[in-house]
Amino acid sequence: MKEFTCLVVEDSSMMRQLIIFALARIKNISVTEADDGVTGLKQLANARFDLVITDINMPIMDGLKLVQRIRTDKVHKDVPVIIITTEGSSEDKERAMALGASAYITKPIQAPQVIAKVKELLKIE
Amino acid sequence: MGSDKSRDLRQPSGIPRNVIAERETFMRAYLKRGFEITEDLLRENQKLRHDLAQVQADNARLYAQVASEDAIRELLTTIEGLEKERNALIERSQELKRASEQYEDRNLQIESELNDLTNLYVAAFQLHGTMSLKHVVRHIGDLLFQFIGVSSYVIYLGEPDRNLIRPIGWTGCDEAALKPEAVGQGMIGEVYLTGVPRIDDETIFGGTVESPVAVIPLMVDDQVIGVISVIGLHGHKTKWASVDKELFKLLGVHACTALIAANLYDREKGPMAALAGIREKLAREGPGTNWAGVVSERDKRAVQ
Repeated sequence: MKEFTCLVVEDSSMMRQLIIFALARIKNISVTEADDGVTGLKQLANARFDLVITDINMPIMDGLKLVQRIRTDKVHKDVPVIIITTEGSSEDKERAMALGASAYITKPIQAPQVIAKVKELLKIE
Repeated sequence: MGSDKSRDLRQPSGIPRNVIAERETFMRAYLKRGFEITEDLLRENQKLRHDLAQVQADNARLYAQVASEDAIRELLTTIEGLEKERNALIERSQELKRASEQYEDRNLQIESELNDLTNLYVAAFQLHGTMSLKHVVRHIGDLLFQFIGVSSYVIYLGEPDRNLIRPIGWTGCDEAALKPEAVGQGMIGEVYLTGVPRIDDETIFGGTVESPVAVIPLMVDDQVIGVISVIGLHGHKTKWASVDKELFKLLGVHACTALIAANLYDREKGPMAALAGIREKLAREGPGTNWAGVVSERDKRAVQ
C-alpha cells in the first residue's frame, strides 16, 4: 500500500496537534509539521509531499502566499492543498481557492471532516 | 299343353321358376339389406372409432388439465410460500435498515464524543505542555478561539489586597473599555467572588466588556484567582455546544494551574532549579519519604 506524506502548516500548536490526531486515523500517512509559511516552504524544498494542509492566518508568511508559492513550485505544483479557515471568512476562502487551493476546512475543525477531505484528495478508499 | 307350360316354367333342378325368382328377389333383398347393414355397421364403426378418438383426445386433454391444475396448485402454493418469504425478507431488511441507521447514529455520536475528547485532551496537553507564561496565555486564547469559537475575551487576575480583579490579557475587544473590576460588583466581580460560572444559554450574541456572554472562574484548590470573560463569538456560532461547557470547566481548572506553574518556573533558572523546593522539602522530611503514599486531607474529604 502506498505511503502518503502530508505537510501540516499551522502556527497554533493546538490546531496542529488536532489535525495530526485526525490524520493519525488514516493508515499509511506520515505527517511533517511547520509553524509558519516559511518553515513550510523549507520543508517542501527538502522533501516530496502528497498533500499540504495550511492555515491562512500565520505570522511571517500566511497560508495564501504559501498556496501561491506551492502552485509555482516545479515539484509540488499539482499537490492538493487544503486550507483551514475561520467560519465566516468567505473572502479568505475565495482568495485561497482562486490561488489554487484544492479544498477548505472551517474552524473549529472536526476530525471526520479532515479525514474525509484528505481521503477524497488522496483517493484513499 | 298345360303340362308343357308347367314343364317350361321349371328349371332343370325342377324348382319352379317363380320360386327361383322369388328366391332371387329375396336373396337380392337379403343381400341388399345385408349390404346396407354392413354399410351401417361400417359407418357406425367409423363413427365409434371417431368417437373413441374424440374420447381419447378428451381424456388426454382432461388428464393434462388435471395435471396442469395440480401444477398450478403447486405453483400457487410455491408462490404463497415465496410471498411469505419475501415479506419476511422485507421485514428483516427493514429491521436491518433500522439497525443500520441506529449504528450510523451511534457511530456519529461516538465520532462526536471522540472529537470532543480529543479537543479536551489537546487543550489540557497544550496548557500544561509549556512553562512559558506567554505561551500559556496564548494557549488559553487559542483554546477559546479555535475550539470554542470565541472572537473576543478578557482574562482577569485577582488582586486580593486591593479587592480588585485586573485584566491581564485580551483579544478582540476595545482596550479603552477595559478596567479593573471590583470584587462582588457586576457579572465579573460576582463570579470572582462566588466561583460559580455564568454562561448565558439564551443569548450568546451582543456581549460587552461589562456584560459578557460567559464568565468562567479560574480556580485552584477551591480558591478563585481570576476569571475569563467571554464577550463575543464567531458569527457562525448560534448556541453553545456540549463540549464548550466541558472546555470551560477544563479551562477553569487547568488554565489556572498552568499559569501558576509557568509563573513559578519563570523565576527559576531551568527545570532543575525549579525543582529545588522539592529537594529541600525531601531533605527536611528525611530519607525514605514516599509521597506516593501520602493522601492529603482534601483527598480524604473527597473520598468521604
